[in-house]
Amino acid sequence: MTRRFRHIAGVLGFITILVVASAAPAGASEETIGSCVVEKIAELEAAGGSLHALEEHGGEELVAFEEELEGCVESPSAIIPAIDEIIWGGGAFLVLFFFMATKGFPAVKGAMDARAEKIASDLDEAEQAKVDATKIKADHAAELAGAKTEAAGIIDAARVQADELKSELAARAETDIAEMRARAEADIESSRAQAITDLRSEVSEIAVGAAEAVIKANLDRNAQSALVDAYIDEVAGRG
Amino acid sequence: MANDRLGGYADAFLAVAAAEGSPDTVEDELFRFAEALRGSESLMATLSDRQLPVERRQAVVEDLLGAKASPATTALVSMVVATGRGSDLPAIIDETVARSAAGRNRALARVRSAVELSDDQKTRLAAAIKSSTGTDVEIRVVIDESVMGGLVTEIGDDVIDGSVRRRMAQLRENFT
Repeated sequence: MTRRFRHIAGVLGFITILVVASAAPAGASEETIGSCVVEKIAELEAAGGSLHALEEHGGEELVAFEEELEGCVESPSAIIPAIDEIIWGGGAFLVLFFFMATKGFPAVKGAMDARAEKIASDLDEAEQAKVDATKIKADHAAELAGAKTEAAGIIDAARVQADELKSELAARAETDIAEMRARAEADIESSRAQAITDLRSEVSEIAVGAAEAVIKANLDRNAQSALVDAYIDEVAGRG
Repeated sequence: MANDRLGGYADAFLAVAAAEGSPDTVEDELFRFAEALRGSESLMATLSDRQLPVERRQAVVEDLLGAKASPATTALVSMVVATGRGSDLPAIIDETVARSAAGRNRALARVRSAVELSDDQKTRLAAAIKSSTGTDVEIRVVIDESVMGGLVTEIGDDVIDGSVRRRMAQLRENFT
């Protein structure tokens, strides 16, 4: 059984249930309770009786009439509808079935097919998107791995450069410290020597100044003359 | 040209000194005045200043030498100052003294001393220099108190320094 036939059978069954459920009772369709009561009362009066007389006499006649009236209120068949309703209902069903078969079902089927195609297309697109996402993820993972590798290389290179720079700076610092120490020692030695020289100069100035003062104080005329004579003798002695 | 001018003035000085009959005195006064000029920059500047009136410069010479030197010496110096050659005066006097000594076949010995030398000391010094260098010299004494004691003799470019000042300098060098 194809899918299409299953749909049709389902629709027919649904419609049948609707027709049966919606059929009115047969009695209700031919005469009402009121008309039945009126008809019974008319038959009673036609037989020469009346409702007033039955009420006065009571008895079995009244009971019998009440049972006739109760027959008016008995329900028609709950299963078999009236013929006219079956005709109208069947016609309507056929019209509706024809309309549904020619217009409704194709439209519904087209919509469902379109929906199915769209869903399939969406599924395909989702699948493709999943594939693309997987590929992108893989690419990203590869790029990430490459970036990590490159970063690790850069870090290693930077570490090597840092170590080299550290060594160079340490060596330079040691050299600078050695030079500074040498300069400081030289400065200290120079200052010490200068201080000694200054001290000697100052001492000599004091000593020579004192000597000059003593000599000047003792260089009287005789001493000057003696110095001149000594000079003359020295010059003469050169020859 | 400058040497010619110096020589001309020197010859004139010698001629005037000889004409006045006291060449030694004039030369000695001139020599001392030249040494005084070398020791005083302000005096040299004053006598060399051509902006200063001649009379003013000659008045300075008169104040310095008038009472201390012979009239010939004062007149010679005044003449050079008046001609505007005051700055050349030491060189002129040196040339004069040198030419005078050379005229007597002697070299000029410039002797610096803190005190004046006696004639005997000058004679003995000249003899000592003669025996030492073989050169006859004419002694010209310059009083220089910075010598302190002893003598400093300059003969041309040769210097014989036997002064107390030099010995003090040697002592100072030995200390340092």
